[in-house]
Amino acid sequence: MVSGTFVEVAAPARNREAGTAGTAPASRESGWSRIRRLAPPYLYLVPAVVLLVVWTYQPLAQTFVLSTYSWNLVPSTPMVDVGLGNYERLLGTPELGRAVWRTVVVILGMLPFTVVIPVAVALLTRRVRGRAQGVYRALVFAPMLVAPVAGAAVWQWLLDPSAGAVNRVLGTDVNWLNTASTAQWSIIVITGWHVVGFAVLVVTAGLAGINPDYAAAAQVDGASRSQVTRWVTLPLLSPTLAFLALMTVLLSAQWTFPLIDTLTQGGPVSSTTNLYYLLWEYGFRSHDAGLAAAAGVLFFLGFIVVAALLTRLAARLSHHDD
Amino acid sequence: MTTEVVGESSRARRLGGHVVLGLLSLVCVFPIYWLYATSLRAPQDVSSLSVLPWPLSTASYTEAFAKNDVLGMLVNTGVVAVFSALGQLLVALLAAYAFAAWRFPFQRLLYLMFVGTWLVPFQATMLPNYVLLSRLGLLETLAGVIVPTLCSALGVLLLREHLNSFPKELLDAARMDGRTSWSALWTVVVPTLRPALAALGILLAISAWNEYFWPAMVLQRSNAVVQLGLRSFMGTEGNDWGPLMATAGLACLPVFALYLVLQRHIVNAFVRSGLK
Repeated sequence: MVSGTFVEVAAPARNREAGTAGTAPASRESGWSRIRRLAPPYLYLVPAVVLLVVWTYQPLAQTFVLSTYSWNLVPSTPMVDVGLGNYERLLGTPELGRAVWRTVVVILGMLPFTVVIPVAVALLTRRVRGRAQGVYRALVFAPMLVAPVAGAAVWQWLLDPSAGAVNRVLGTDVNWLNTASTAQWSIIVITGWHVVGFAVLVVTAGLAGINPDYAAAAQVDGASRSQVTRWVTLPLLSPTLAFLALMTVLLSAQWTFPLIDTLTQGGPVSSTTNLYYLLWEYGFRSHDAGLAAAAGVLFFLGFIVVAALLTRLAARLSHHDD
Repeated sequence: MTTEVVGESSRARRLGGHVVLGLLSLVCVFPIYWLYATSLRAPQDVSSLSVLPWPLSTASYTEAFAKNDVLGMLVNTGVVAVFSALGQLLVALLAAYAFAAWRFPFQRLLYLMFVGTWLVPFQATMLPNYVLLSRLGLLETLAGVIVPTLCSALGVLLLREHLNSFPKELLDAARMDGRTSWSALWTVVVPTLRPALAALGILLAISAWNEYFWPAMVLQRSNAVVQLGLRSFMGTEGNDWGPLMATAGLACLPVFALYLVLQRHIVNAFVRSGLK
């Protein structure tokens, strides 16, 4: 991979060969200089790896351990070993199933904003270039930079039942955020507003990276414009789309968290309590560390399965451009 | 003749493109515009639907400053954003340098450790992290917000990519000069990498500025950063729209100011990190 490096890594192999060939021991370097020669990359990695272990991997392991105990997060109270009791309790609560379902709804509801609209917009606006394109880029990207809580504040104002602009323009008096049937969709739309411009730019960049020769060749062969889009452009774009889908699955619950925490607190009647918010409530409202840890473990395993499936799908789709 | 038809349809398509992008831009920008428009209306016009806020008034801002220590919150959030971004840059630069300039045993495994963090959702590690912070006495402190974020896997991956396309001859030349790898890092690599470092630093600082979950967990009893101050304002004075919009506007202002100056670079940094 790298040829001109500070340390020639071929050296240890040469040494070993020299050793087996039985050359004079005098030519072998001392242990100390060997360490000095091999140490630099590890030394440069120390801060990052220590931080990773301390703040990511060791806590992950602890979560697995914690999930078999009953504990209320107070250091002075003892932790009681309950085996798989937390998992039984977790899987026995009807809340979990509902929260999982709401998480799925959020993810499915987000896909139009992260995949469908961006692809449509990017395809329809390929001809817009130059300065105008720069201005549009700047405008559609702006919501991504709005702090989530500030976004929550302005949407609370826009959706206010009596004085809010949305109701007054529509002539309705819907309490969008405090009605069980509309709260979840309001959260999805607000989150969608935050990310849709970013997704458009990602798809546009993906389109720009496609070699135009493929489409030209298909057109020479008599393919219509929509056929080219369907059979040439979209397949070539599939790695970008897989990335956006993966991002949606992994991050949707995370994106909605600040909005749920500030706008609905999981309500009304739990209609916006997704898995992420449920975990937060177990841990920091009911102080049920074991249950929260068990839910965290299940969340992690679910992530791995979904990510593996999507990566495999992306790998299968991306062979087109070879 | 055929070229004419093609030209016409291409003009129509370009026009259609402008319509689509114009509508999307409007949808994206309107809430931001409304936020600042409301914050600049006089108190009696706050719920006016007129598009232009007129007459302009700074009464909402005066009230926001009087009700909350907005300035203190902005300074605290700035401290978090700057230290978090600088720390992440330094840690990521050292790690990316190791990956790009040497080949060593366990390199792949160590690299996968960084990639693997994508699969560890925050919620799977939050409780042990909370307990560790409380043991270290860092709960309710700004340091507690900064320290756990210092290793950015995204930063390592992006910088490694930049470093891999870095001309190796320059590193060789530095070695011929008898420089240590440490001095080569600061005299050869960093100056060449400055644009990439700046773009990444801005991306990291904006993310840290807007971060909500981690500060909400660490600072449960105070409102030291602007996101939390805004949340508590929403809770206690939820219907005082003018000052609330003013506070929200101030919470976004530093990022937007940066965006006005560095627009293209910020968009590219985000999209690049997305395409990774």
